[in-house]
Order: sequence, then C-alpha cells, then structure tokens
Amino acid sequence: MDIELSAEDLGFRDEVVSFFAENAHKDGEDYNQWRMDWFAKAKDKGGWDVPKWPTQFGGPGWSPTQHYIWEQETAIHATPWDMPFGLGMLAPIVMNYGNEAQQKRFLPDIRARKVNWCQGYSEPGAGSDLASLRTKAVLSEDGTYYTVTGTKIWTTMAHIADWIFCLTRTDDSGRKQEGITFLLFPMNQDGIEVTPIITLGGAHSVNTVHITDVKVPVENRIGEEGKGWTYAKGLLQHERTGLAGVSRSLVALESLKDQARTIARGNSTLMDEPAFKAKVADLEVDLMALEFTELRSLASASAGAAPGPESSIMKLKGTEIQQRIQKLTVEAGGLYSAAWGATSVGPSFARAGMGGYLASRGYTIYGGASEVQKDVIAKNVLGLKKSTSVQTSKENGRNSS
Amino acid sequence: MNFDYTDEQKLLKDSVQRFVADHYALENRIKLASNAPGFSADHWKTFAELGWLTLTFDEAEGGFGGDQVDTMIVMEEFGKGLVVEPFLASIVLGGGAVRRGASKALREAVLPGVMDGSIQLALGYAEEQARFDLDDVVTSAREDGDHYVLNGTKSMVLNAETADFIVVSARTSGGQVDTDGITLFLLDSTSDGVERTNFPTVDGLRASEVKLTNVRVPKEGVLGEVDKGYDILNAVAIDGILAIAAEAIGAMEILYKDTVEYTQQREQFDHPLSEFQVLQHRMVEMFMEYEQCKSLLYRATMETAQGSPGAERTVHALKHLIGKAGAFIGENAVQLHGGMGMTEELRIGHYFKRLLVIDLQFGNSDHHLQKFAA
Repeated sequence: MDIELSAEDLGFRDEVVSFFAENAHKDGEDYNQWRMDWFAKAKDKGGWDVPKWPTQFGGPGWSPTQHYIWEQETAIHATPWDMPFGLGMLAPIVMNYGNEAQQKRFLPDIRARKVNWCQGYSEPGAGSDLASLRTKAVLSEDGTYYTVTGTKIWTTMAHIADWIFCLTRTDDSGRKQEGITFLLFPMNQDGIEVTPIITLGGAHSVNTVHITDVKVPVENRIGEEGKGWTYAKGLLQHERTGLAGVSRSLVALESLKDQARTIARGNSTLMDEPAFKAKVADLEVDLMALEFTELRSLASASAGAAPGPESSIMKLKGTEIQQRIQKLTVEAGGLYSAAWGATSVGPSFARAGMGGYLASRGYTIYGGASEVQKDVIAKNVLGLKKSTSVQTSKENGRNSS
Repeated sequence: MNFDYTDEQKLLKDSVQRFVADHYALENRIKLASNAPGFSADHWKTFAELGWLTLTFDEAEGGFGGDQVDTMIVMEEFGKGLVVEPFLASIVLGGGAVRRGASKALREAVLPGVMDGSIQLALGYAEEQARFDLDDVVTSAREDGDHYVLNGTKSMVLNAETADFIVVSARTSGGQVDTDGITLFLLDSTSDGVERTNFPTVDGLRASEVKLTNVRVPKEGVLGEVDKGYDILNAVAIDGILAIAAEAIGAMEILYKDTVEYTQQREQFDHPLSEFQVLQHRMVEMFMEYEQCKSLLYRATMETAQGSPGAERTVHALKHLIGKAGAFIGENAVQLHGGMGMTEELRIGHYFKRLLVIDLQFGNSDHHLQKFAA
C-alpha cells in the first residue's frame, strides 16, 4: 500500500495546473471566444478536451490516477462551462453501439462543442421505473423512418439543446425492458414543444418535452430496434459516475469554513461555535473517508479489476455529503439565508446558499432516487432477496444492472 | 389536565379554517406573494371584520382578550394555507410590544387602528452582527431634549414595507451585549431618516433592511422603561416563537398528509409507492415528528399562557424541535414526491420553504438547543 503520488503523477499535476493558469479567463475577455479557444488548446495537449474518451476516438488515455488529479484540479480552477449530455453520456453509446457513419457524423460536433444534446429519458409515468416508458415510435411501411409521439420530462437544458437522444417504445408486447429503441433527432422542428419547469431554487434547467408525430429517419437509430434498454443501461452507468462530486465537495467544504469564519461571534467566529464546528467536523470525516473510497475504486479499476463493492456507495454518500454542505451554508447565513430576489443583504454567500440548498434536494432524486439505489446495492452487492413487502419484477429499475 | 378547546376557540378555528379553504388555493397565494404589497388588502379587511386583529388585545381596550392559545389556533390554520397577511408582524410582534410597553395615551392612539386594520405594525429586533441574540444591539438611541435620536440598521424586518409604525430595539446604555440598556421605541415609519430597502424572502413573504439615520423619536414613543426594554422584547419574541411554531405545525401536517396521499397515487414498478416498506417507514417517521412537535407546542404554549416556571426553557425545546423536525419532514416530503417534489408547481415545496425560514426566525435549532442546555 502506498498513498503517495508517483513522480510522473506529480509532474502531470504540475502540467495540468500550469495549463489552467496559462489559459485562465482574463477580465474583459469574451467568454464564448475564450471557451472555444480553451477547448482547442486542450485538444492540442493531446485530447484534454475529451478526457474520458478512449484513445481511438482522440482521448488522452490517462490512468485512473491522472483522471483523479484532473477532477481535483478542475474543481479548484475555473474551467469553461460544459454540458455532459453529448460528451459524457451520448458519445460512449455512439462509440460502442453506433455504426461508423454515425460516429463520423455525431462525434466531431460533440467534441467541438458545436451541438448541444439533451437526454430524452424520464417520462411523467416513468421515473425511477424508467423501463415503463411509453413514448411511441412507429416504423413507416417502407421502413425508412419512425414517427415519434410522447412526452419526456425532467429534460435538462432541452431549451437550449440542438438535438435529443431519446428512448422510445417500438414494441409493447413483451417484457417492458424489451421493445425500447434508441433514436436521435433535432430539437428545432415542428412537433416538438419545450415547456420550462421551474424548480424550488427558482431556476430553470429542466423541461417537459412534448413530441408529436416527429419523423426520424432510420439512420438516426442507434443499434438495433428494440435493444435500446441495453444501450441505455450502459449510459446510466456513465450518468452515475461523477455524481458523487468528491473533488467539488472538498472545495465546497473549505469555502464553507471560510464563510463561517466571516460570521463574527463575540471575539471569535461561527466556526468556533461548538455545535457548528462539530457538524462541520462530522461532515469532514465522512468526506475524508469517501475520498479514499473513490481512490480505492480507481485503484481497482486501474488494475483492470471489476469495480469493487465500494464503488456502489459513491453516489449515495457523495450526494448526501453535498446536501449537508449546502445545509450548513444555510445555517451559516443565519436569518439572511431567507433573503431572496435581487437585493443583496447580509453575508455575500447567504443568497446563493439557500438556492444551492434547495437545488441540492434533487441530488438524491435525479439519476436514480437514493431509495432505489439502496435496493440495487441490497440485491447486487449484499446478495439479498427482494424485500417481502413488495415484489418488484427483476431488472426493471432505472438503476438495475 | 384538558386539551380541549373552548366553544369560542372552536368557532375561531372553524372560521379561520373556512377562510383558508376559500381563499388560499396555491395559485392565489403565489399571485398575492408576487405582487406588491405581498398580501391582500381585502383579506386584511376581512381579518378586521371577523375580529381576528383584536385577538391578543385587552378586552378593556376593545380587544378579544385572547392568550397564546388563541394565537396558536389562528396560526396553525394560517400555516395550513401559508397565509401571507402580516398577522404575525403586525398583531403578534408589533402589537405585542405596543400592548405590553406603550403608555395609555400611545395605546389609545395606535391600537384602535391596529385592531380595525387601518394601522400596521412591524418589529425590528435583528441586527447583522447579532446573529440570533436579541440582546446584541448596536443601534444607538441618544437623548436629545424631549426626543431620542436613533442611528443604526435593523435587519430582516418583516412587514416594514407596509408598516405605519415600527418597534425597534436600540441601545441607550451599556455594552453591545448587555441586556440592560436596551430600549424599545415606536417610530413612525415615514419619519425623516428612516430608509427601507425591501425585498422578498424565499418563503414568499417580504422583509426589509431598515436604516436609521438621526431619526428623532419623541420620548412618548418609548415602550416600557428606558434601558429596560429587553424583558418586553424577550416576551414578544417568545410569543413570536409560539406563533411561528404553530404555523409550522400547520405546514407539517400538510406536508406529511400530501406525501401519504401522493405515494398512494403514484405507481412505479407496478405498485403504488406507498406499498414500499422503506417509504412507509419514512412517512411514519414524518408523522411521529409532527406529533412530537405538536405535543411540545401545546406544552410550551400552555406553560407560557399560564406563566409556569420553566416555560421559557420549554419554548427553547420547542423551537429546537420545530427546526429539526421541519427540515426532516420538508426534505422527505420532497424526496418522496421525487422529481415533482422539486417543482414550484406542487404546493409541498412552498410549505417546505416556509418551514426553512421559520427555523431561521428568532433563532435556529442549534441556537435554542444551546439555550435549552445552558
């Protein structure tokens, strides 16, 4: 056992840090231009614009440790805004299950950040139980296109997306995991209507997408008809990686402490108050442990082994920790955490604190509710039979694997 | 031992319940909250007509002569509808300070208007450096002939935007955190030197920063004795805590009941969510927390109304539990509603946000646990 980074890894860290420093956004610089330049320069570094892509598609081929270092440094430094849907979710599916023409058609634009994608997955009646989705796709008699009709919900960034990757039902005669087909189509066309959903923090990022008689050429189908669930399951695993957000939490915890130190209490600060301090410490202990849980998973992945049981707890623990940090930020803001709207009153962090806390309540819902996640661990990791009070049919959970 | 309401109290509860049922559909509440002045003048008039605005004032002065139990009845029902009218700010807080501290002449000048709804009040007790401590007061009041001259900023003042008079705490002597040396003043909100910065709060209500620059208040505007305002302020804060705790109970009831109902309707994995044991237990816990809060609310309210020794410690216990249980119930109501729980479209998010703010008002859960343990 050795917890020191190797000389190569330390060298890599230096290289990453100096890349970030050299290409930091300067005051007054046009943001979008900077963003495009940043990705271009990252590409020239040898695939740093697509860190998770395999080398045959232009990725850097980093070791797990290098990925970990990258995650840590991106949490500390300001890097350009990016969307995960095309880059991290669709691209792996296209690489694994798409044909060569599709790879040539879709991957370059994703890599160049030219096309924004959204994920057409959940439906009003299909949330945790995703396989019960009903958006219908009917193949034309000549077999050249599908006609798609249905409603998708919780579609993040649908209002700015150019394309959607969508799970549709082409057959409802068998098991519900069968008969699902994976289609890609543009958002800007007749028959697609995007309605915003305003969430508790007052933000608009998710939407309802109504799809009515939208024609999708068969060339836009990934893989075989009816096999979409298999592809989607692979994609869900991608969605889950990164949701733990350990690096971001480490940074957020430090800023929480800094914020609490700005709240004067007599001759000391809120950070010295026993009750508050104990909660921060309790949080820090859990986060320290989770950081090493992540490293253990990385190490076994690095040795080529299947992910160990420890990797299954990452999303659960990670999102819980993110929520606790947000909650303590609200506590630190005191009465000022209640202030809302444009007027700034009290400590500068208080306004964002409440918004962040409210948004964080979704972390244990989106991407698979924690309760479902625990069912999966009980079954797959602990090998337990389904609980006796309810019989859920096998493999129908969003997070079943 | 008797936990029953009197016939009069039952009538009061029924009439508030009916008002909430008739006027507080979520869309109405959102509409009221998002347009100035943040509540309905018509509703306020109705409150006056129904006599609710007289609730806490002495019978001899035209009031209903009610105590904290009566306020509790009203506030619990208000909590079920997330009522935005400034009953708490004007009647419980501002009115509570005036009726306790104002001279007979001042009471006669102000209270009839408060009770008929034509005058509104507010209480400015918080200051930024004070966090949750009522006795940490930097705002100063300097004697100048037959006036006091006030300087400082009172923070997060509920209803200051529409209040005609604002009760503020200011330091007339002593050090920053001495309980002695605090004096309460009733100031006309249109006085020279009063500058209000108004803003919404996350729960759909409104508050203000009230900056006082050489504001002259005549000596008749002193509530209670000079330097001895803390006891009145503390008594008003206790009434405030009891009132918002009752409101919280109303909100908690909606949250747990809506969750029980929703999980019976929503099906996933071919079953209603309510059949999943893990969710059943969670809802049982929400219910248990609600009942425990209600018990402490009754205990603290009755002890306070009856002047029992130790009542204040029970109030600390109550405010601690309300904050803790409020977060638990609110967070789990959202969690069990899934994605829908995260939207502004369902009412549960709105109740959750009110509970979050209730925890922050008059000291959060930690603050009161420390006071309780002290």
